[in-house]
Order: sequence, then structure tokens, then C-alpha cells
Amino acid sequence: MQASRSLLSRQLLREVRQGVAREPYRCFSCTVRHAQQQPPPPKSPQDAPGTTHFGFETVAEAIKEQKVRGVFSSVASSYDTMNDLMSLGIHRLWKDHFVRNLNPGRNPLASTSTPTSTPGSASEPQGWNILDIAGGTGDIAFRMLDHASTINNDAHTRVTVADINPDMLTEGRKRALSTPYARSPRLKFIEANAETLDMIPSSSIDLYTVAFGIRNFTHKDTALREAFRVLKPGGVFACLEFSKLQNPVLDAVYKRWSFGAIPLIGQVVAGDRDSYQYLVESIERFPSQTEFRDMIKEAGFLVPGQGWEDLTGGIAAIHKGVKPIS
Amino acid sequence: MAPARLSKSLLGSFRATSLRPATARQQCCYHSYEYTQPPPFPPAESAILSAAISHVPSYGFTSNALKLGARDAGYLDVSTNLLPRGVFDLINYHLVTQRLALKDSVQFPPQDQPGTGKKLGVGAKALAIMAQPSYVPTSVAELARLADEIWFLAGDASVDTSWYTKRASLSAIYSATEVFMTQDRSKNFAETEQFLDARLEDVMKVGGFLGAFGEWMNYTGHSAVNVLRSKGVRI
Ligand SMILES: C[S@@+](CC[C@H](N)C(=O)[O-])C[C@H]1O[C@@H](n2cnc3c(N)ncnc32)[C@H](O)[C@@H]1O
Repeated sequence: MQASRSLLSRQLLREVRQGVAREPYRCFSCTVRHAQQQPPPPKSPQDAPGTTHFGFETVAEAIKEQKVRGVFSSVASSYDTMNDLMSLGIHRLWKDHFVRNLNPGRNPLASTSTPTSTPGSASEPQGWNILDIAGGTGDIAFRMLDHASTINNDAHTRVTVADINPDMLTEGRKRALSTPYARSPRLKFIEANAETLDMIPSSSIDLYTVAFGIRNFTHKDTALREAFRVLKPGGVFACLEFSKLQNPVLDAVYKRWSFGAIPLIGQVVAGDRDSYQYLVESIERFPSQTEFRDMIKEAGFLVPGQGWEDLTGGIAAIHKGVKPIS
Repeated sequence: MAPARLSKSLLGSFRATSLRPATARQQCCYHSYEYTQPPPFPPAESAILSAAISHVPSYGFTSNALKLGARDAGYLDVSTNLLPRGVFDLINYHLVTQRLALKDSVQFPPQDQPGTGKKLGVGAKALAIMAQPSYVPTSVAELARLADEIWFLAGDASVDTSWYTKRASLSAIYSATEVFMTQDRSKNFAETEQFLDARLEDVMKVGGFLGAFGEWMNYTGHSAVNVLRSKGVRI
């Protein structure tokens, strides 16, 4: 009892201290920011129409898709190394958190006594219908199925993995062989561009996920509208992506790491400097947390709370949107 | 200030407000001077939360209650992602609506036999959730507002320094009483009532902030530890 009391008071104290510590950081950071010569991300609103960004290069839109495909074809096999480098080795924890927090799967125990529930959710006894876009290696899909099965005792929830790149899909199919879902109807792989999901009917998806994929899309707003279309009313868009560090000091340190070291390591480990250079730049290019939240709202979604959750100080962030009913 | 009157309004807040549908509560007028009306929960969130509250008696403050609420409101299971803090949002909603409804419950005493209805309260598990470090500030703030409302209804309009100690002590007693109530098997919660009277008596006599705060820590801490133990955490 004594111990628990002191535990609680320690937690309270920590809260208070964190609140106090936030302020001074801010002034400290200004000086640091001035002193810092950042790699130049020239946000250029005057880009010629029909062009887009490939990292910091400006390229014709038609070429970007092709180039992105090239990048992921060349890193498909060394893919985990790349993610480990970019996330300082913690992308697996982020993915675990991402999935656990979405809590996929219908818990059959909770569905026994719902005399009052509306028949609107009639399709749900079959579990959730999940679409994992840019799901390449199946990392998210396997976690979703595991969570649904073991946590929610739901053996019906199914995942469709969609990716633009056949090499990533091949890698995913290969990895699926070491899971229980290899030949199960619960797991499907399709080749598709997130911007045109014609093979997916409107209002058919419970949960749309995209992990570390959306920054590669040529038209993010088109992809968001397509997500809105395929989701059922009440369905959820959830995105895990590298983001902007909230603490400028850490941001400076992380930038040094990502711009300085990663392309070099990419060259040594995978013999492919350019692909890694692209990855680093595409992260820097991606909109800030608030900008991306506003893009999600613009596509018609309701956002929970402030709209996103920072992971590891903002190295990555989870954004969510809910399609309104009616 | 009669402890009896205070005790009645506290107990009223446990019993009477707990099982009435939570909808429309936000229309009750608000009467502590210190706060303006908080922005009501956005419509979609309210729809899910108010429907979820009606599942709390059978499912507790759990994600299952939330999912069932979402279904009742015409949403999907997955739509509960609209509540960034999950179950804690449900507890917070309950505390807020309970505070807003307090005025009604005191003026119109419950018809049903005391103790025969199912009690809802906040419950030991919910208190443990409220005591999680990241939720402590919100929990404390919401408890403080609830305490203000109770003092106000009990006729205490003091704006002197004792206001702070009073509201701290009342929050403490509120939490302690709820924990007590969740374990009270006596008829009509007679023991809870005795417990409450004794605690209020203490506060009237001693009144100290530290004593009352310690009490809150003691009970909340104790229940948190028990809940964690019941989940197999070795403490
Ligand atoms: C960094 S990987 C992420 C893989 C996986 N979701 C994960 O978290 O490990 C990015 C993926 O996005 C895919 N991609 C890029 N542009 C795409 C688009 N327009 N539509 C669908 N997938 C795309 C790439 O092929 C690549 O597999």
C-alpha cells in the first residue's frame, strides 16, 4: 500500500515535471535552428504543372510512378534493413502499436446480447474487411490477422494486401508461407495503384491501412478520396508514416543521421545509394502532421481528437479518419 | 453546512444519475460560476458514447461497451477509433455528463428503492484507468469540477481559500466512496452510507488537504493495484 502510494505520487510528479520542462526547450530550439544549416528542401509552389517530386528532384508525374517502382524493386529484398535504418530499429514496435490500437476483429463474446443493435452492421458477423494499401511485404497484414485471431477470437476478419510493385508482392507472398494464412481465404494479394482502386467496390471496406506508403504516392489527395470511396460509412482510414520530429533539437540530430549516414549505409549494405537517398528525401518532403490531418479532413473524414498520434517524438505518426455515416 | 445534506447530494450523484440515459444531459443548465460550459462532445462522438454508456452496466468500462455503443448508433466496431483515448473517453464522458446532470438528481430524488438499481459509478477498474499517468491531469480536473458542483448544490458558496481544500477533499471522498461502493454487499449500501458519513465527518473536523489527498491516493492506489493483480501483474 505504501509502495503503491509512492508510485502514484511519483507518476503525478513526473506529469508535473514534463509540463514544466516543455517551455524552456522552445527558446533553446530557436537558437539551434538558426545555427543549423539544413539540407535545402525547396518547397516550390511554382512547380510546373504536370510535374511532381521524386525526393528533392522535380520530375514529370508519369515518370514518378515508374521511378518509385524502381526504388522498391531494388530494395524489396533488403527492405527490412532499410526500415531499421530509418526508424532507428523501432518500426516493428510502431507497427505493433498501430495494429493493437486499431484492435481489428469482431469479438464474438461481445456480440451475443445486442438486441438493440441496428441491422446496419449486418455484414459484420463475417469479421472486418481490411484493405492494406502499399502493403508489399505483408508486415501489417500478418499482424492484423494475428491480432484478430488471438485477441478477438475472430477467424473471419480478412485482409487484402494491395501494392503497385509486383516484386514487393512476391516478397509478401513468400513471407506468407511461414504464417498460418498462406493458403487461407483470409489473405489476398493484388497489384493496384492506390489512386485507382477500380477493383474494390465502393463502401465495402471496414478498415483501410497504409503504412510507410503514402509518401510515395504521386497524388496523395486522389488516394485519400479513393480511400473515402471504398470505405463503408463508419469505416476507418489509418496511416502510419514517417513524420516531423516535434522537438527541433532531436530533429536536427535525426536529419544529420538520415541525410548523412543512411544513403552511405545504403550503398555499403545494399549497393544502392540512390534508392536510399530517395527514401530519405521523400520523408523530408512529406507534409507535417497538421497539414496531413487537414488533407484527411478535406477528403471528407472526421478525425479523432487532434487527428494524429506522434510516435517516438514524431519520427513517425499515426493519422486516422472516420468516414461519417449518411 | 450540514454533513447530512452534503452526504445526500453525494450519494444522489452515485445512485440517481448512474442509470438514466445519458442523452440530453448536456442541455441541463450549468451552474458553477468558475467554468463556462465545456464544448459538448462532437455529434458523432456523443452518439457513440451515449449509446455505449447503456452497455456499461453489463460490460463495464471496456472496449466491448464502446463497440456495442458504436453499433447501436449505426456505426461499425472499427468506428470506435474516433475516440482517441478509447475507454478513458467513455469514463470521462460519464464523469462530465454525471456532473452536468447533478442538479436534476438532487432536486428530484430517485423514485426507485435505493440500492435496488444496478450501480454504475465509476468503478474500481475505471479508477485504475484514470490513475494511469497520462490520464491523471484530465481525471483530476474532471473530478474537481464534479466536486465543485456537489459543494455548490450543498449550498456552499465560499470563495475563500477553503474552497480549494474543500474541493480537493470532496474529490478524494468521492473516489474513495466509489471504491468502497464497488465492494459493498450490504443492504441498500448501508455501509457505503456509513463510510461516506464518517469521511465527511472527518473532513468537517480536520479538513486538511493533505489528509484528504492521501486518502484519495490510498484508495485509488489500492484499487489500481488490485485491478493490476487481477490481471496477473505481480505487485
Ligand atoms: C516502404 S514500403 C511499405 C511496405 C509495408 N506497408 C511496411 O510497412 O512495411 C512502401 C510501399 O509502397 C508501395 N507503393 C508506392 N507507390 C504506390 C502506389 N501509388 N500505390 C500502391 N502502392 C504503392 C511500394 O511499392 C512499396 O511496397
